Amino acid sequence: MPDVDVVVIGGGATGAGVLRDLAMRGLRAVLVERADFGSGTSGRYHGLLHSGARYVVHDPESARDCARENAVIRRIAPACLELTGGYFVATPDDPLDYAERFVPACAAAGVEVDEVSPAALLDAEPLLNRRIWRAFSVADASLEPWELIDANLASARAHGAEAWRYTRLTRIVTGEDGAVAGVELEAGRTGERRTIACSAVVNAAGAWAGQVAALAGARLGMRPGKGAMLVMNRRLTSAVVNRLAPAGDGDILVPVHTVSILGTTDVEVADPDDVRVTDEEVRALLADGDRLVPGLSGSRVVRAYAGCRPLYDEADVDAAHESREISRAHHVVDHGQRDGIRGLWSIVGGKLTTYRLMAEQTVDAVAGALGVAAACRTADEVLPGSEEGRSYWLGERLAALEAEGGGDADLVCECEIITSGQLQAELDAHPDSTLDDLRRATRLGMGPCQGAFCTCRAAALLSDRQGMGLNGSATPDPNAALLAFLAERVRGTRAIAWGDQLAELWLEAGVYRGTLAVDTIGAAGNGSQDGAPSHAEP
Amino acid sequence: MPSHDAVVVGGGLSGLTAGLALAESGADVALLAKGMAASHWVHGGIDIADSGQASSSAAAAAALASLPGHPYAVLADDLPAAVAEALRRLADAGLPYRGGLDAPLEWIPTAIGGLRRAAILPDGQATVLDPWEADEGLLLVGVERYRDFWAGYAARNLAAAEWPGGPARVHAAVVELPGLARLRNLTPLVIARLFDDPVWRRSAWPLIRQAVPAGRWRIGVPAVLGLDRHAEVLAEAVRELGPVFEMPSLPPSVPGIRLHDALRRRFEASGGRLEIGFGVTGVERSAGAVAALETAAAGRPRRVAAGVFVLATGGLAGGGLRGLPGGKLEETVFGLPVSSPSADRWFSGEPLGDGVELERAGIRVNADLRPLDTAGRVVLDNVLVVGSELSGMRYLSERCGDGVALASGHRAGRLIGVGQRATATTTTTTTTRRTAS
Ligand SMILES: Cc1cc2nc3c(=O)[nH]c(=O)nc-3n(C[C@H](O)[C@H](O)[C@H](O)COP(=O)(O)OP(=O)(O)OC[C@H]3O[C@@H](n4cnc5c(N)ncnc54)[C@H](O)[C@@H]3O)c2cc1C
Ligand SMILES: Cc1cc2nc3c(=O)[nH]c(=O)nc-3n(C[C@H](O)[C@H](O)[C@H](O)COP(=O)(O)OP(=O)(O)OC[C@H]3O[C@@H](n4cnc5c(N)ncnc54)[C@H](O)[C@@H]3O)c2cc1C
Repeated sequence: MPDVDVVVIGGGATGAGVLRDLAMRGLRAVLVERADFGSGTSGRYHGLLHSGARYVVHDPESARDCARENAVIRRIAPACLELTGGYFVATPDDPLDYAERFVPACAAAGVEVDEVSPAALLDAEPLLNRRIWRAFSVADASLEPWELIDANLASARAHGAEAWRYTRLTRIVTGEDGAVAGVELEAGRTGERRTIACSAVVNAAGAWAGQVAALAGARLGMRPGKGAMLVMNRRLTSAVVNRLAPAGDGDILVPVHTVSILGTTDVEVADPDDVRVTDEEVRALLADGDRLVPGLSGSRVVRAYAGCRPLYDEADVDAAHESREISRAHHVVDHGQRDGIRGLWSIVGGKLTTYRLMAEQTVDAVAGALGVAAACRTADEVLPGSEEGRSYWLGERLAALEAEGGGDADLVCECEIITSGQLQAELDAHPDSTLDDLRRATRLGMGPCQGAFCTCRAAALLSDRQGMGLNGSATPDPNAALLAFLAERVRGTRAIAWGDQLAELWLEAGVYRGTLAVDTIGAAGNGSQDGAPSHAEP
Repeated sequence: MPSHDAVVVGGGLSGLTAGLALAESGADVALLAKGMAASHWVHGGIDIADSGQASSSAAAAAALASLPGHPYAVLADDLPAAVAEALRRLADAGLPYRGGLDAPLEWIPTAIGGLRRAAILPDGQATVLDPWEADEGLLLVGVERYRDFWAGYAARNLAAAEWPGGPARVHAAVVELPGLARLRNLTPLVIARLFDDPVWRRSAWPLIRQAVPAGRWRIGVPAVLGLDRHAEVLAEAVRELGPVFEMPSLPPSVPGIRLHDALRRRFEASGGRLEIGFGVTGVERSAGAVAALETAAAGRPRRVAAGVFVLATGGLAGGGLRGLPGGKLEETVFGLPVSSPSADRWFSGEPLGDGVELERAGIRVNADLRPLDTAGRVVLDNVLVVGSELSGMRYLSERCGDGVALASGHRAGRLIGVGQRATATTTTTTTTRRTAS
């Protein structure tokens, strides 16, 4: 008798969507994620709910999926969206004839576009290149990945499923008949091992799907495509801006809360954990960014990061092609048929925009094999938190704070307007959160200053809760978390270390090391009730 | 068109020290600075050097002086006089400091519960240097709603720390001070200004006193004990609370601002001309030397000529060095050659321990503080480089930033004072003639 019907591997958007769909169809399911939910590609992506227009010319199938799912997500998850709208713009460097192919291709793929005059565009987006000569508006939006994943997991839990973070799959156990019998798991923080018996496994490990399939002895050729993005220190445009051209580097600018994100490159890498950003990538992005917003390269880049596209190497795809040319449409791989491992499916490729559709098609296959006839309802039922049908807007948090009576003394993070009350609430709900988990949950430190000082305040808050005995036993050490954050901040800035950003980093380092001697705080003590250590009390 | 004996570019510790030395010796000196830079960020103590082992700053500085390329290799002789002068000037300005080059380096607690060693601190912080009595505890008192002093966190860290000769116990408390609830942007400066008000602080002392438990305590508070009337506030705090000391934290740093303001006042009182807010926008050269600088005063370019120029622009943090995309550094005023480890090694090293290699970057100088190129030749004859703009040190790991600023500023004043004034005058003449023709 299996413990559960299905184990889902991977807590990105796809895995969370699969878990919700399984649970809504009445299957007993558990999801395991090796780190925090949304710490893989879903948390390191560009932030765009695609209209589909980007793919109409080269990958109409993808375009159609995106257009359809764009409408679905607006319906089921408005709270995760800022409805920025988007533009496709032709700069003097873009091909003259692309629009002639673009417009009919949009019509064919069901992607709505409206031509706008360059004058009207520049009125709405004054920082854009004044030599833009053609523009179309589309239904792009800014999509908050962690909220979306949390909402899917919350819905799944409400339907009886479980989701465990910091739990890594170490082996997929198969029986004599070659069918999946269970999984071996290891808890990341305690190293504790456990085995779960199950009838099926869904591999939703994104760019890591090849590694996961190998844990069952199956071969799944992945071609992780690394993409780098630059976080600019302010919001340069209020809508998403795409180049009216075949996909290239640095050709999309997405407004995300208080900042703008420019991306992306595409470089095939052997290891999906290799997400270092190189100087060449930064240069290429900035050069292209200048074509959209002249002078962009002179403004401050506050962070560079990269993620890996979960691209799948189909045997029939010409290996010589650049990875951007591979269809990004997704594939559900039945390892029973392919490798004789019954009960194992991998879902690879796709986009965040199409996560739900990918989940639906995967669960159709799994449910069918398990003899469950229930139909998919994930496109109809609104996600938790989105019941009111409202999407968020820049300034919402400030407005909420003002509505409470104003005063900003309680703010921990000035850039993203996060109060200590919000952090306390998050820690009450998830007492074992790390600083990084708090970042994903609240956007702590994700604004223009990138956590220069709010991280320190958050560490103090963690420590105070520890002192009051409010944290779980698995609570991470606030000192270790702070030190890791600061070291990463120095090293992680390498690729964007110039100009004001480098000066800022130097001033911060001066305060942390010179004034606070932060390097001398050790592992945090097990604080007692009042902040005083028991051994030092008289 | 103004012409001076000397122009100092940069208004931090090194620039003000050089400017003061010159002004006090009777020179006509102007100081131009873009902004405040380090002073609003630093702890306000004076760090000369600390190797972790040496018993005094003098011993630690001597050890650094033996490292090839370290600024102390050429500055060691200036250090005693530089420190003595600085302490004298600060006392004269009403901001007395305690300690000195030969005073023992003592462990002191930081606002996050770290420990660092110090030997020269302003009176507002210096009480922490006293030996801890056997029954004496440390009480950290935070202020409700002020976000950047973490009494509980620091107390927990200090209690767990190896603190040689430290207090018998550490305790934390947070007090609610009157009128803070409705304030926005509650920085330490705002609270310091409240303490400047005698009426307000009379209502604050009892609230703080209430937080002190029975027993013997030395009290650490955020560094907010007044700004313009600090001495008065401090004396009253000691009367009302007993032994109390300030602990600087995240910027803005009130002790750093007090230090800066004190030196600034002395500089102006000594006849120096100060212009803050103007970056250098252009340089006029003549035959291997600098004739004049152009600044963007109130939007209009203005020419400032002098015989000698002191570059005190503070390195990467101050704005004197600027990183360019692709791993290059430029010196922002004269375009001097920058001595730097190769870009691929910039971030090697422990960011929070020994520091990263990039910290060593700066301008290489000879014993006369003249900037050198890679071949060791003097690049500009009438430019002297001082402070954190110098290459070859790691001011955070070696805790030598203030000492180098003082000693190099002092040396610059001395060098210009003796040898250079004559040359200075001739250069000025050339410049004037050039412009006149
Ligand atoms: C640079 C870039 C920009 C992009 N921009 C966009 C965009 O703007 N719009 C859009 O729609 N799409 C975009 N995409 C695509 C989109 O981000 C991805 O397709 C999507 O996030 C993939 O989600 P996922 O859940 O499949 O994978 P992931 O989010 O990567 O989730 C897989 C998870 O599996 C976990 N895992 C791995 N191994 C194990 C194990 N052994 N045990 C347990 N867990 C394991 C990982 O930790 C990871 O969290 C972009 C992609 C990239 C790289
Ligand atoms: C945050 C911080 C913390 C530190 N902590 C310590 C410590 O704990 N211990 C220690 O030993 N050292 C420390 N240091 C080192 C510190 O640099 C020295 O202690 C000292 O204060 C440096 O003084 P300075 O005069 O060289 O430079 P700064 O104080 O940086 O002054 C530079 C000046 O030059 C001006 N300037 C720059 N470029 C231009 C331009 N183009 N035109 C006009 N003006 C310009 C700036 O506006 C500023 O006025 C710290 C430094 C920083 C930044």
